[in-house]
Amino acid sequence: MSDYVPLWCKSNFSFLEGASHPEELVEACVALGLERMALTDRDGLYGVVEAHVKARDLGVRLILGSEISIEDGSTLVLLAMNRKGYVNLCRLVTIGRRRCDKGKSEVGWKEVCAHADNIIGLWGGDRSLLVGKAEPFFVSHKLRDAFGDRLYGLVTRHRRAEEVRQEARLRHRAERYRLPLVAGVEVLYHKPARRRVQDVVTCIRHRAKLVEAGRFTKPNGEHALKSPHSFAKLFEDDPAAVARTLEIAERCTFSLDHLRYRYPSESLPDGSTSFHWLRQLTIAGARERYGGRIPPDVVQQLEKELDLIDELDYCGYFLTIWEIVRFCRRNEIICQGRGSAANSAVCYCLGITAVDPVRMGLLFERFLSRERAEPPDIDLDIEHDRREEVIQHVYAKYGRDHAAMVANFIRYRPRSAVREVGKVLGIPETALDRLAKLQPYYGGVHEEPFAQAGLDLEQPVHQHVLRLANEILDFPRHLSIHSGGFLLGHEPVSTLVPIENAAMPQRTVIQWDKECLEKLGLFKVDLLGLGALRQLHLGFDLLEEHYRKSYSMATIPKEDPSTFDMICKADTVGVFQIESRAQMAMLPRLQPQTYYDLVIEVSIVRPGPITGGMVHPYLRRRAGLEPVVYPHPSLEPVLKKTLGVPLFQEQVIRLAMVAADYTPGEADQLRRDMAAWRRSGRIERHRERLVRRMTAKGIEPEFAERVFEQIRGFGEYGFPESHAASFALIAYATAWLKRYYPEVFACALLNAQPMGFYSPATIIDDAKRHGVEVRPVDVQQSDWDCILEPASKGPYRFAVRMGLRYVKNLGKGQWERIEWARKEQSFDSAEDFVERTRLNDSAVTQLAEAGALSCFNCSRRGALWQVKGLARAPRPSLTLKQKEKNPEFETLELFETIGWDYRTTGHSARGHPLAPLRERLRDLNLPDAKSLSRMRDGQRVRYAGMAICRQRPGTASGVVFMTLEDETGFVNLVVWSRVFEKYGLLLKTSSFLGVSGRLQKKDDVVHLVAERFWDPQPQLGVKPASGGSRDFH
Amino acid sequence: MDRMACVNLPVFPVQLLLRKHPGWQSHPVAVVDSDRPQGTILWVNERARSCKILPGMRYAAGLALAASLHAAVVAKKEIDSAVRSLSAGLRSFSPRVEPATAEPGVFWIDASGLERLHGSLNRWARRIRSDMYRAGFLATVVVGFDRFGTYALAKTRPGILVLEEPEEERLAAQGVPLDRLALEPATRDVLTKLGIKTVGQLIDLPSEGIVKRFGRKAHRLHHLASGQLRLPLQAEKPQPLPKQRRILDHPENDTARLMVVIERLLHPLLKKLTEQAHALSEVQIRLRFERLGDHMEKIRPAAPTLDGRQLLELIRLRFETVRELPDGVVEVVLLGRSVPDTPEQHRLLGPRPKRDLAAANRALARVRAELGEGAVVRARLHEGHLPEGRFIWEPLDTLPAPKFRNVDTGRLIRRIYARPIPLQPRQRQEPDGWILLGLEQGPVVREFGPYIVSGGWWNRLVHREYYFAETREGDFLWMYYDRGRRLWFLQGRVE
Repeated sequence: MSDYVPLWCKSNFSFLEGASHPEELVEACVALGLERMALTDRDGLYGVVEAHVKARDLGVRLILGSEISIEDGSTLVLLAMNRKGYVNLCRLVTIGRRRCDKGKSEVGWKEVCAHADNIIGLWGGDRSLLVGKAEPFFVSHKLRDAFGDRLYGLVTRHRRAEEVRQEARLRHRAERYRLPLVAGVEVLYHKPARRRVQDVVTCIRHRAKLVEAGRFTKPNGEHALKSPHSFAKLFEDDPAAVARTLEIAERCTFSLDHLRYRYPSESLPDGSTSFHWLRQLTIAGARERYGGRIPPDVVQQLEKELDLIDELDYCGYFLTIWEIVRFCRRNEIICQGRGSAANSAVCYCLGITAVDPVRMGLLFERFLSRERAEPPDIDLDIEHDRREEVIQHVYAKYGRDHAAMVANFIRYRPRSAVREVGKVLGIPETALDRLAKLQPYYGGVHEEPFAQAGLDLEQPVHQHVLRLANEILDFPRHLSIHSGGFLLGHEPVSTLVPIENAAMPQRTVIQWDKECLEKLGLFKVDLLGLGALRQLHLGFDLLEEHYRKSYSMATIPKEDPSTFDMICKADTVGVFQIESRAQMAMLPRLQPQTYYDLVIEVSIVRPGPITGGMVHPYLRRRAGLEPVVYPHPSLEPVLKKTLGVPLFQEQVIRLAMVAADYTPGEADQLRRDMAAWRRSGRIERHRERLVRRMTAKGIEPEFAERVFEQIRGFGEYGFPESHAASFALIAYATAWLKRYYPEVFACALLNAQPMGFYSPATIIDDAKRHGVEVRPVDVQQSDWDCILEPASKGPYRFAVRMGLRYVKNLGKGQWERIEWARKEQSFDSAEDFVERTRLNDSAVTQLAEAGALSCFNCSRRGALWQVKGLARAPRPSLTLKQKEKNPEFETLELFETIGWDYRTTGHSARGHPLAPLRERLRDLNLPDAKSLSRMRDGQRVRYAGMAICRQRPGTASGVVFMTLEDETGFVNLVVWSRVFEKYGLLLKTSSFLGVSGRLQKKDDVVHLVAERFWDPQPQLGVKPASGGSRDFH
Repeated sequence: MDRMACVNLPVFPVQLLLRKHPGWQSHPVAVVDSDRPQGTILWVNERARSCKILPGMRYAAGLALAASLHAAVVAKKEIDSAVRSLSAGLRSFSPRVEPATAEPGVFWIDASGLERLHGSLNRWARRIRSDMYRAGFLATVVVGFDRFGTYALAKTRPGILVLEEPEEERLAAQGVPLDRLALEPATRDVLTKLGIKTVGQLIDLPSEGIVKRFGRKAHRLHHLASGQLRLPLQAEKPQPLPKQRRILDHPENDTARLMVVIERLLHPLLKKLTEQAHALSEVQIRLRFERLGDHMEKIRPAAPTLDGRQLLELIRLRFETVRELPDGVVEVVLLGRSVPDTPEQHRLLGPRPKRDLAAANRALARVRAELGEGAVVRARLHEGHLPEGRFIWEPLDTLPAPKFRNVDTGRLIRRIYARPIPLQPRQRQEPDGWILLGLEQGPVVREFGPYIVSGGWWNRLVHREYYFAETREGDFLWMYYDRGRRLWFLQGRVE
């Protein structure tokens, strides 16, 4: 038994106040020999799940509580004694949070008293009324009445002179109000060394610099977790107060394990149970899916699934998802289930997913299993523009008490850490900006960029920045909202976890993120936005409108050879999932010919198979260059579909079960450890077991090691087969649209932006290379979105007219004014346009510069001169206007015109920025992309193009992949890390790049292995416009 | 024909910045309006300009163009002070100097007739340039005929240019790129988009079209460039401080006699100010000693005044502290700073406050006069943790009217020493107890603490453990152990 219990501990989930992770506090307890601790974050229970899990693992008993902010500016620490107390605490925090703007909380004493049941109150500390100058007579009596013997006076000591007087007051008042005293320290970090971090986060919170922080920061470092000995010494004059910490801990018996969660029941037709209703819907759906006659194997699968769903009492959850899908269908919102839900025949029959798991031979146990006893996780992809409608439907249906969105904690990453720590330490923000931009997005804060940014690491202040920025990495900074996760509850959600307002209007959010929910086994409904679905919806609408053809995801022709031919040529810009540089490089090698090949394609370019070294064996076997052999005969059923090479997450699990004799429990543990590998390294413990057992079965140790490596790679980035199958459907649909209706495809894709891998400029250039006529923005013709118009040239019936949404700084409200005026009567001149739309100077200037006023027979410069004068002029009077004579301006060259297009719209319908420079580039012996692709393998080449994509995948050992573009196509670069380091600055900051290197050609895949980079601008004397580069990490 | 020269110190604030950070010379450098990524770039050096970083951009945008862009704020005060000092320097080359109000670092100088004094205008210009170089600045000097012409050319060309004919100047100015002139960034950008890149192209545009689109400033520039507006040189006329000077026949060591000299100088000074309807707010007394050189004393009355007696009394108080001067004074100069005088009569009609603040302020002025400028200060509470950091002394110029405030004073008063007094290190063996301040105080009989104050790790780590100690004689001492220095100090006492 420890000698005391720390009852007032704040982790870094007391945002920008606590300086230790909850787990660190728990670990420190173990190290100090403390058996119990209370976590009492400020106005929240954000960190309790992390602390709970760690405490459970280490055998520490965690007491849950919170430091509550009162409206008079004081505080009170509350601890939950039992489940009821916990509910009261959650409710009280919710009241405080919901009342205030995001990030703040306030409750009244009356509310505290109303929620005091089964809660222990610790009244003390710096900001408590009990130590203040004024006598808290009324509050004291009110609290005493509400809490009874559960209210304690909290004597805190942090070796500050001021505390002596405060303590004297507190003791005097405690005696007067008959409050027993308990000893405590306001713990803000787990070890004294974190005091510096606490100072820094405090300054960040108060937006102060350290040198000016004054008394915002704590006066000393006495807020660390104390050992029993030093705590006893601190309170040696009052051992009874120390002993009372144990008494209080004894009274608090609540643990998060006591939470009982019930999923909300759906409204059911008369007389039905949830199960009957689900069964009825499933069977009806199956009849529809299978054309009236349900195959026996499907019936068998459905029965099996339904029985398990009923047994685990998950019927309500399935009905909820079905209801959401029905809502989407009713409102013509395209949605599709993704992830492991595609393993379920019930989901397929309910219309939640679009992949037939029985036909695909998908493993239902991956989705739901009795042994795992984990709630199912159905992620629903919804076309991104309309997701909010679905979210508001869920709120409306379940009410804000029973539905709240899941949180997402915004944590410090290298760039934000450097910026904020540096600012606190007084480094000029301009220098910090320079430093931050040279730091990576993820990982640690590195030393090298300091020198690059001109900051001398010999100086102590810069050393502080480096060390402290690294220390606050991963600290939660504030609460954000998860992209689409909902927590639904039969009981009000605020009895499980406090709810607060999100920054976004009409949104409420719980204080836990999705990992917390998973750890506690709570049900989450994920409503995710997917741009590709929006693109398909728009595409189908355009087909209907212009071609009078009605298609949907289910009715587009299946397994179309011509579509697969296009895919095999890697002609996939804008095609969902298979458009990335890596996917494009894989397509000619894999040569997908069927839908299932696409499933493999989607899965194979993932870190799991890549790091596991599974890609090349698979490709060789597929090409017939090596025989399909199985490491062990028992593995044939597991690996047959993928030619003896494990590519999917399910296969890895089954492989462990079959080849390494993993029990279902062990397999489940493996799956969990795979997911948690990056954080805890727990996967390592499987290495020896897996390799040993596989080798014992006669499997080559090399293969066993490879399997293990793949398991590691799957940790975060592996695709389950079901997930890949769902995505492959969308990939096929978008590819089909691109193959047959490229103008529709481009128009829909442009209207669904922002999404995908490429910028609008690249999408437009790709469409033009396919013969699609793209017309520039025009105030007489363009709508807000891009539209199709009858084509005047090219192989397709329609041309794409760019929408005014692409004119930068033009808002939708301004478009509505144009539309309104145009509906009345079309514009007859620039003056007429300005006069009737009354758009402001910046909007009309932008339109003139974008060439949207060229329809009035004036040059862009002429239009700009005209509108500049008109927009600033007062409203025209009735007197006769004297027509101003316009000066003559030099006509823009094509290169300049394209530059103006890019500057004002981010793209150009008139040409690629490099097209006008082609002659000059040729004179410099710089070939275009098309010519380059025809050169021989191993040839040394020089090339100049626009950077459109930079990638540094974690699996590539620092290799950077870049894509350069010109008017004829793409050139893929491979940049080894030493080359990248040498030319990093140029590569990161310049969009127009020259590269020298060696060509690498294999299976129609061309790469340029970069050896040297240079800036082609000085040779050309101009800087071509850029549509921007999409960079990924 | 009148000659005019324009001296341009290109991107003057950047030059000031580079003087502070010589290590930045090889980098693109910008002066920003505020030290944050979204701060606007105001001036850039050539290296930054060659990276397409232009004034008007955000710092973050500039950084995207040149990753090694260095930037800082240069305060207006600093710029103004440098302009004043350069302006004064240039007046040694010509009596008529006009610093540009809107563009720091640009000066117009009247060059008429100076070729006779300096041999040639070219030589004169070279001297100016060398003088500027010695002061640490790079300058361009263009000698011509017209304000705009010389300005435009000085903004483009390095070194020295002496134009012989107005026509030559006009033609050369037409080729000057607009982005070199102090145009509003927005105007500059639109003109560039219109293909208007030079002064010549600008003046081809219709004047009324310019004002309509770009406002009055651009219109004025257009007028100046086209020659429709010719502004003569508006030379600065520095207002000298009223001054009285006396060279003494014999070196004077006696302060009483010196006071007589000062009194004789003060009266004409006050008379002059009275004529100007000014009152004296400060008088500077410059003494030139025979051997020790120059020395200056400043005397400030409580309020601007023309009361000679009051001023003399303050001067006397200052000199009373020095019975005998260290050296013989050979020259006395009185310089007066003044403000416009305000009529005092109406104050006579108003109610008299019970407390005469003016009298109090006069008394403080006397203290200041007698004990020096920094003698009158007041304590202001300050947010700090260390005892000496919890207040700061700030100069008190005038006493504010008192306001009633309920102050909760504790029963105990802590008095803090201006500097903590080092104490003897504690002995391992203390047979007579812990004796802090000698045997007469006796040993410490009770101590309270430690109360820890620590911090400052980002600069100099401080860790003090404070104690209150009661000696046998009943004194309460406030002391601390400095863990870093391993020393005990007496911080103060408790009464």
